[in-house]
Amino acid sequence: MSSSLDHESLFQRWLEEHRGIVVKVARSFAQSPSDVADLQQEAMLQLWISLPSYAGQAKPSTWIYRVCLNTALTWRRGTVRRERRIEPSADVSLVMAEAASPAERAGERELLEQLYAAIHALPEFDRALVLLSLDGVAYREIAEITGLNENQVGVALTRARKRLAHLLKGVTDELE
Amino acid sequence: MNWNDYEAVWKRQELPVGADADLASLRQTFETKRRELAATLLIRDWTEISACLVVVAFYAWFWRSIGPSGWPMAVAMLLILGVAGVFLRERRRTRRKRLGADSPLLAKIEADLAELRHQRRLLLNVWAWYLAPGAGAMLIQVGVIIRRAKPWEATREPLFLLGFGLCLALFLWFVWAINVRAVRKQIEPRLGELEKLRRDILSPN
Repeated sequence: MSSSLDHESLFQRWLEEHRGIVVKVARSFAQSPSDVADLQQEAMLQLWISLPSYAGQAKPSTWIYRVCLNTALTWRRGTVRRERRIEPSADVSLVMAEAASPAERAGERELLEQLYAAIHALPEFDRALVLLSLDGVAYREIAEITGLNENQVGVALTRARKRLAHLLKGVTDELE
Repeated sequence: MNWNDYEAVWKRQELPVGADADLASLRQTFETKRRELAATLLIRDWTEISACLVVVAFYAWFWRSIGPSGWPMAVAMLLILGVAGVFLRERRRTRRKRLGADSPLLAKIEADLAELRHQRRLLLNVWAWYLAPGAGAMLIQVGVIIRRAKPWEATREPLFLLGFGLCLALFLWFVWAINVRAVRKQIEPRLGELEKLRRDILSPN
């Protein structure tokens, strides 16, 4: 009984601290609002199921990234492939938290939508790397999450960033 | 725009605050899934293994009813027990602990690939571990029946033998075809996706 309570309280605490990871992974791997909600639900279920096997060897955030990304990669495999093209995602109803004016807010929102659209157009693994990199996760931690070594992470991340830059080129040209 | 600008925009996106998880619903979903999986495994294990045991019991009864001349039935029983053994081994394998969702991505993908390749091998070789022993056991039983039949009985009629042979061949082909179809429609597409993902991860360029 007490271990079940521990399980619940730990789950709640981690979710409070790291909810953003679940949401960003879901937004990066799913496009429609219902798919994003489904993937979030599935990721939370996998976190719940996997929590008893957490051995404390990795940081909670590293562990949560692993579970969420594994879930997203599996989940994607079970769904119909979508076209890899850049178009604004209908589900990214994102309001910028700290933008000063409404115009600035609208500009940043559009930019974020374009960023998500470009992420959706990347190959799945590049998507995971770009997400981790944008979140500011260190190479060592990315290596722990992916199972690659730090050199491989560096090479793969450079490649993923180049692809993202290429996809965003049209967007940034418009903005500049 | 450079990477830092995107990073800044990314970090400023609005995210839900707090846990916001319906624990009761999560627990219920988990329990439902766990119960469904346990029921599926139980039914599948018992259906396969008990079907084999029923056939073995029937062969034993048949052998007993015809006396010592039915000794080839022992070979038929062994063949069916062999099939049951394969089912049992596979079920034990399924129950072994696998890599969880909290494993590194590459390790999880490789474990999933290994499992899918095993399933593909098993289904493509269904003739070796399931169809051939099953058909062998049936042929032995029919052989015993024919050997004991009087010259005028229908079992010695070429037409009967031809009909039996055709039905058996059709049945074997059908089982083989549905297994090959499962490989083509379900396993190979997933295998292809996982292999591509693995290549993407390990590709240096």
